[in-house]
Amino acid sequence: MSKKRLSLVLLSMMVFMSVFLAACGSSNKESGKTDQSQEAGTEKSTDNATSGDKKEDVTLTAWIMPNSPKPDKDFMELVKPYLDQNPNVKIKVTVLDWGSAWTKITTAATSGEGPDLLQLGTTWVPAIAAMNGIEDLTSKVEEVGGEAGYLPASWNTTKIAGKPEVYGVPWFVDARAMFYRTDAFAKAGVDPATMFKDWDSFKEGLKKLNGVEINGKKMSAFGLSGKNDWNVAHNIFPWIWAAGGEVYNADNTAAAFNSPEGLKGVMYYTGLAHDGLVDKTSLEKNSAQVESDFSEGKSAIIVSGAYMVKNLMTPADQGGMGDKEAAKNFAVSPLPAGPAGQSTFIGGSNLTVFKGSKHKDETWDVIKFLSSDEAQLNYSKITGNLPGKKSVIDSLGSDPNFAAFIEATKYGKSYPSIPQWGPTESALVKYFGNIWDVVAGVSGTYNEASVQAQLDAAAKEVNAILNQ
Amino acid sequence: MTLETRTVSTNTPHKRTFGTRLKASFKEHRFAYGLILPTLLFMMMVHMIPVVQGIWMSLLKLNQFTLGEYLKAPFVGLKNYSDLLFNENNPVRQGLGYALRNTAIYTVVVTAAVMMIGLFVAILLNREFPGRGFARAAMLLPWVVPSYVVGILWGFMWQKEGIINHILVDVLHLMDEKPYWLIGPNTIWAIIIPSVWRSWPFIMIVFLSGLQTIPEDLYEASRIDGAGKVRQFWSITLPLLKPIIAVQLLFQLISNVYSYNIVAMMFGNGAGYPGQWGDLLMTALQRQTFGYWSFGAGAAASFLLMIGMLVIVGIWYRIFRSELRAE
Repeated sequence: MSKKRLSLVLLSMMVFMSVFLAACGSSNKESGKTDQSQEAGTEKSTDNATSGDKKEDVTLTAWIMPNSPKPDKDFMELVKPYLDQNPNVKIKVTVLDWGSAWTKITTAATSGEGPDLLQLGTTWVPAIAAMNGIEDLTSKVEEVGGEAGYLPASWNTTKIAGKPEVYGVPWFVDARAMFYRTDAFAKAGVDPATMFKDWDSFKEGLKKLNGVEINGKKMSAFGLSGKNDWNVAHNIFPWIWAAGGEVYNADNTAAAFNSPEGLKGVMYYTGLAHDGLVDKTSLEKNSAQVESDFSEGKSAIIVSGAYMVKNLMTPADQGGMGDKEAAKNFAVSPLPAGPAGQSTFIGGSNLTVFKGSKHKDETWDVIKFLSSDEAQLNYSKITGNLPGKKSVIDSLGSDPNFAAFIEATKYGKSYPSIPQWGPTESALVKYFGNIWDVVAGVSGTYNEASVQAQLDAAAKEVNAILNQ
Repeated sequence: MTLETRTVSTNTPHKRTFGTRLKASFKEHRFAYGLILPTLLFMMMVHMIPVVQGIWMSLLKLNQFTLGEYLKAPFVGLKNYSDLLFNENNPVRQGLGYALRNTAIYTVVVTAAVMMIGLFVAILLNREFPGRGFARAAMLLPWVVPSYVVGILWGFMWQKEGIINHILVDVLHLMDEKPYWLIGPNTIWAIIIPSVWRSWPFIMIVFLSGLQTIPEDLYEASRIDGAGKVRQFWSITLPLLKPIIAVQLLFQLISNVYSYNIVAMMFGNGAGYPGQWGDLLMTALQRQTFGYWSFGAGAAASFLLMIGMLVIVGIWYRIFRSELRAE
């Protein structure tokens, strides 16, 4: 091949490569759902700055997660009353994406360059606190009600287990309960009041519900996601807890979920799928797809959070599921009690003050505002999550859909608040995933021994993580 | 070319080493070297600093407790490497074996399939026919779709009640029962096929541009000599495309070993575990590093992978060395 021809080919390749790289670049950007910075609302506050206040002007940066459909605008709406009262304060909000947030936050904690106000997922607080990335708020939290003002399961997540320091204030709570189709229950002759009592009555009810026809469409009794999901551990642990199992031993030094109780919980939950009470196609799906299946009438019961109530109440033209059959025929119940009582998963987000912040007092002032009853209630309405404050949660009790969640928060559990929880969850997701493979019938036989083997392997890995 | 070098070496009294040649070349093209200097410095900055930092990180005990100290975290020497290679209980090591096997299968199958399909379609599109421009543009469609979207889309299509099973079972009756694609051993195909689907058009376009540089008179001359289509392919097309094949092969090997997006998006948007038959090295390393917060060990694993890649590139270079020299 002559030099000229080769150079022609190489040149054309370069051109294509550059297009290719450009395409890659943009796809990465989109896949990372780039954080949208917005200085919305800052102009508004300057308008009011003429009120003669002599306080120094401060601009606070807030890092929040996509908690609502329009996270940045909704947040600015929420803090507007505060900004109106404090014209010297401006807030710049940056919305992180859950996928990349961890990297961003740890980078910020490492460099000391970051926001003032920082929203952290409840399981992240101990890790970031151990990294010395967030302020110790112990002396201040009484101003917003302290330990007594919040759910115990939520309050635990503001500390490192076994230590007295408090590093955050619960902002909102994610608790899980069961959504069920009232019309399917009526047709199958199942009484929800007795069905959701305990594991035995729950399974009996599922058997009656399985295959019930509504509008000529057959429904499976229970919809749940398997391993291709972000809720893998959150879905299984309520059942382990209800059977009397725990994640770790009492002083959080060794794995305990592979105990006989833990096995019982996993066997009961996965057994529902193995016995055909769950549509096995849902084992490949993620939580969002299982929720949409419920709204489409493919399953009679699912487990979800309070945001699902908001989804079902929001009209379709605003991105909700309000037009679906399920929206008119659903109710919410706590999870049935296991041998060791009732349980559910409690998560959510906490508000923290970033260690590198230069305006810690002003930031705490904003947290105080966000913890006020009014702001808590407003944000709960915007996001569909439960508020963090106990008094505000209780005030929602008149809504029957929320009543079940409030009931659930009483005995719900959060994960042990230790810095190693993150790696533990990563390991659990892997082995729970293997168990779902066994349940789906594509790897080995489903029995106590094979599930125990996976739990033991997971425990071995978790112990190695704890001993690191 | 060989003749030329021989005359040079006999004419000069002492042998010209690489160093003296470089010096001479530098003197001769001083201006050109000056022009590429800024680029060179930037490339060094952008590429070398992170690599060196990564190697340094791999020698540290860098986890969620020591991340605050970052590059000043406790120095542990080669412990991360020995843990990774020899300590069976090391959490970061768990599952890397499956990932390595899957990556090997994935890379070989995807690379081979993409090259063959790309070349075949390029040959088809290289002839004159009405609507050729449209056909070429239409073929590029899969390549335009961002890879993470490919992951999400195919994630839907592979579901048990999804369109693929519908076509295979309900329409074509190729199987008796609808299989799982996103759980269990079939997962490997569920990640290979979308990757091939997305990658071949690019290869095809490059081959097409290569085919167009082959002079038509070579084919005409061979036709007069009585060569058929198959003979022409093996004796003219393939040898003349060899440099392109070599470069494409390298790009494919590298991008497939480092493949991430499609697998990550197909299984719980990066949060799930793709399973023993779906996990690739990149998804595994990402999870074991950032999920387990073992940054030192993760850096060590990445560095080992980089060395592995260098070996592959070295082998590739030895095989195709002669093709890459412009004559």
